[in-house]
Amino acid sequence: MNALKNDTAADVRSDIAIQVGALFFVALILLAFTTDPVATGTREGDRAPALEGKAYNGSGWTDFDLNDYLTPDWVSNDSSAAWVVVDFMDTDCPYCVRAAGDVYQYSNYFMKYAREDNGEPSWRGPLVHFIGSATQLDIAGHESSQQEIEDFRDRSGDSECAGSPCSGRDGAVHQFTYIDDLDQDNMKSWKIGGTPTYFLLQPDGIVAWASSENPGETVSDAIFRLTEELIE
Amino acid sequence: MNPNLLLTFYIVPMVVGLLFMTPIGASMTRSLTDRYSWMKHERRRHMFGLNLVVFVGFAISVHTTWIGNKISEGGSVCASASLFSCDDVIGNPLYNTVPFIGLSWGLLGMLAFGGLFFLTRSVGKEPDALWAESYLNLGFYLTASGLLVIALLISYEIEMQKICQYCTTAHAANIVALFGFWKARQMHENGTWNDRDEETAASPTSKPSSVKVR
Repeated sequence: MNALKNDTAADVRSDIAIQVGALFFVALILLAFTTDPVATGTREGDRAPALEGKAYNGSGWTDFDLNDYLTPDWVSNDSSAAWVVVDFMDTDCPYCVRAAGDVYQYSNYFMKYAREDNGEPSWRGPLVHFIGSATQLDIAGHESSQQEIEDFRDRSGDSECAGSPCSGRDGAVHQFTYIDDLDQDNMKSWKIGGTPTYFLLQPDGIVAWASSENPGETVSDAIFRLTEELIE
Repeated sequence: MNPNLLLTFYIVPMVVGLLFMTPIGASMTRSLTDRYSWMKHERRRHMFGLNLVVFVGFAISVHTTWIGNKISEGGSVCASASLFSCDDVIGNPLYNTVPFIGLSWGLLGMLAFGGLFFLTRSVGKEPDALWAESYLNLGFYLTASGLLVIALLISYEIEMQKICQYCTTAHAANIVALFGFWKARQMHENGTWNDRDEETAASPTSKPSSVKVR
């Protein structure tokens, strides 16, 4: 500061500092008026990170991109857009294998496969897509493969899931897509601490609910609670 | 507007800035020197070019911050299935912030180029000030340390197998600015850091002018 007060050249530098500061301020104002950023992350209210990879849908492995399931311009009273549940699991994790029966029931119901006698879907709320992201945790005995993911989903084959045949797990065939995340790419970008971990995404991709933040609440309870106003 | 076309609005002035800092700048501006007398002087041309490049770096950093904000809203600015897809790079939460700080790379670019702009503008206005040389040194070391950041960001792009063309332009601005600061230091050391006309300066019999034209 003393240099700025006493140096005869200080005027130039202080003038320029003000000019550059003003330029920076104008840039920030421009950003503030033209954008409304939402943090990307996996906490409730964040925008969900990308979810990509090869995925198995029951008939073969194809490219998967979560964006294909989202409706970016969704408005909160629109019940026609689909919500998404992402289930981070490991086919050799005992908790995941044990939860497979519940996951079957939830997915069957909220994906509107379960029907009333009159043929109408049992679930009258918005469609909820279920997506499994099958990883391979760095734990001895958790060696997995695409074949094991297929066998887990289809409840078939000779693979072993957590020490038992995958074909003997709870529930019926999961009629939703499983992503191959054996390299843990998605798991890392979603900062998954353990499996199973569930996320409920709004149609616009915002995390509406995370199991890690709601330890006492099941996925189904969360869907009922958060889509209450959208049920017909 | 096509984002790649928009990019030319940054690349063209950056290239012009670079040319101003090279001997091509002298021949390029020869016909304009009657109208713009400052273009006669190598140092002034050089500082003009350096200011332009640093300003482009600042502007493109603002643009990348804007792209990052738009992606977070759920928008798509320059997504592409090809190698060049800045949405995939800037929108990747694993790599789009400065490690440990959490600041977006775009905002860091704004701060860095804003600081460099202060240095270049100050030196451009007061080239003979006592602090001018230390400002040039500071600018040189800042842009040189920027190479480490560029290397880190390129390693991220290799990891993602995607290239962000906007980020690459900002990296290029840093490298051109590094060249600019390096050359300015050379001019300072070689005694060509003055306002002598090139014709006069080229003459071995002429004496350096003691009068500085600003």
